[in-house]
Amino acid sequence: MSRFRLLLLLVLALAACKKDGPAPPQPQPASTASTLLLEHEVDAMGLAFDSILYVNAAGHAYGVTRLEYYLSGLTLLGSPGTPDLEIPGPWYVNAEGQTAFKLGTLPGGTYSGVAVQLGLPPGLNQTGALPATLENLNMAWPDPMGGGYHFMKFEGHFIHNGTAAGFAMHLGRNEQLVHCSMPATFTLDGTADTLALRFNLNEVFRNPHTYDLATGNQSMGSMVLMGLLRDNCADAFTFEHRP
Amino acid sequence: MNKASAALLFLFLGLWLGTGCRHEAQEPVDPCASGTTPLQLDLPAYAPPPVIPADNPLTVEGVALGRRLYYDTLLSLNGPYQGFACASCHHQDKAFTVPTAGTNVLSHANLGWSTHFLWNGGVEGTLEDVMRFEVEEFFQVDIQALRARPEYPALFRQAFGTCSITAREVAMALAQWMRRITSFNSRFDQYLRYEGTLSPQELSGMNLFLTEAGDCFHCHSLPLMTDNAFHNIGLDSIFSGTGVGRYAVTGNPFDLGAFKTPTLRNIAQTAPYMHDGRFQTLEEVLAFYSGGVHHSPSLDPIMTKPGTGLTLGLTPQQKADLVAFLHTLTDEDFLTDPALGSPF
Ligand code: HEC
Ligand code: HEC
Ligand SMILES: [Cu+2]
Repeated sequence: MSRFRLLLLLVLALAACKKDGPAPPQPQPASTASTLLLEHEVDAMGLAFDSILYVNAAGHAYGVTRLEYYLSGLTLLGSPGTPDLEIPGPWYVNAEGQTAFKLGTLPGGTYSGVAVQLGLPPGLNQTGALPATLENLNMAWPDPMGGGYHFMKFEGHFIHNGTAAGFAMHLGRNEQLVHCSMPATFTLDGTADTLALRFNLNEVFRNPHTYDLATGNQSMGSMVLMGLLRDNCADAFTFEHRP
Repeated sequence: MNKASAALLFLFLGLWLGTGCRHEAQEPVDPCASGTTPLQLDLPAYAPPPVIPADNPLTVEGVALGRRLYYDTLLSLNGPYQGFACASCHHQDKAFTVPTAGTNVLSHANLGWSTHFLWNGGVEGTLEDVMRFEVEEFFQVDIQALRARPEYPALFRQAFGTCSITAREVAMALAQWMRRITSFNSRFDQYLRYEGTLSPQELSGMNLFLTEAGDCFHCHSLPLMTDNAFHNIGLDSIFSGTGVGRYAVTGNPFDLGAFKTPTLRNIAQTAPYMHDGRFQTLEEVLAFYSGGVHHSPSLDPIMTKPGTGLTLGLTPQQKADLVAFLHTLTDEDFLTDPALGSPF
């Protein structure tokens, strides 16, 4: 056997077993391993499910049994020298499930704020636009009601006439996409950063509208009620940069 | 290159291949090696991706073995269900249920996407996990009896490459079989795929189902016709015994009276209805949803209708339309497919 054929064999063997061979050194990217983190609270209290612990602006005591929503269009607002950075998402958030999402590498710079949408952009808010995962399927907004997905399902019980009644704050339809904008000056400097968004559920029920669960316990069938929720949710998130 | 160095290189190469690339080294001759053929599920584009654990891929041999076990009364030599096969209570022509008094039998259609099993979700995990429960606790299968039979050792060897049958492989075979039991060819599916049409009455029922008027879609979500979650839909206002439902598993007072949302696929074939089989007909079910919902503190929020009332107030026509729609969920192929029937 010639030296050449042996060499060829060796090369072939190496190629066939690439995954077991010694890995070539990777250049370290000098950038951030960032995370989007969602936190849920009701005014100063952390969110605990399944207990009627909270009181909203209209004075109703309530508890939470479900909180699922989509976020999309996360934008880090730039400053002189730093362009806006858009991270489209979307992210499906279940407050009882996954609330931290890897954003990977973000360019460094000084930013002046964060904007995000509660809901899906029109291009994704169409039946079948998202992968058919169980989560997405359960968030579907049926075609006879306009198609697409629920932007939010926030459900629980409130005390009404001395007993627990159900409420379901369901938000959907392109008109009801919630745009949130949070000014904040922060610098991404190449270390692992956490971009934390805190969702205060009491804001869903106040400012600018004091939302009355007794007359609006189900929002899904009503553009009017969903419009109130959309307006109220614009300031429901606060942002915190955690270097 | 001289002979000696060539030999050395060969030796080196051989060693290197043997260690660095174990999966390509010559296999030891294994008398128990399996000979499996991968099996692909035939699913429509709108079906969720199948959930298949890496250590139990679907194979023709595994599914065939699972099917055989499922229909074999040999599984119940011991335990409380002597003389039964799984199929004794799960008839294909009834979507793998059987009419009973007491705890209602749950259908097998599309269980591959379930994460909680039984009405109260008492068994959590994969199909492998629930089959382990069926084999060890429910049927208390006598593994020795399987080993002693002439055909099973060879079938297990083919499917799993094992010479020793254990509860694990029995559960794995049954899980593969259960995963194969999919139903996506009802008239409603054909409508969704633009392969067929629905009558005006069925379409009216579909629209009620998929809007706030009937409000069924929140829990019986498409296309599995279940959200794989638990809800107290207000069948009762006081709960005791097995009627406490999911509460028995979680101890959460908001789970009192909550049960697993059953799929509505093939629902016309699976009477009686609800966890305790209290309704004999779909008309009774619709009468309940329309005006028979009971209040309790754990009633699912979706069951409190706009204005905090509990009634949908459907007209007789609307109820009839909904029932007509439910009938379009019957999958004749599924109920009669010989590949899902008994191999005996
Ligand atoms: C004596 C009748 C009977 C026999 C025999 C029987 N089952 Fe069942 N099966 C039931 C009933 C009743 C339920 C619902 C029980 C509950 O939820 O508490 C059920 C539920 C199930 C479920 C859960 C379905 C779901 O949606 O969560 C699976 C899976 C299942 N059976 C598989 C099997 C297998 C596999 C066998 C054979 C090893 C078997 N069954 C034998 C009556 C039976
Ligand atoms: C809040 C969630 C929810 C809603 C809304 C809902 N269901 Fe159900 N459905 C369930 C659950 C959970 C069960 C099982 C309840 C039990 O047995 O205790 C069930 C049971 C059924 C059954 C009996 C299934 C069987 O295998 O026994 C039928 C039929 C049914 N629902 C149809 C409907 C229709 C039609 C609508 C709309 C009018 C509807 N459901 C609305 C959750 C829901
Ligand atoms: Cu909704």
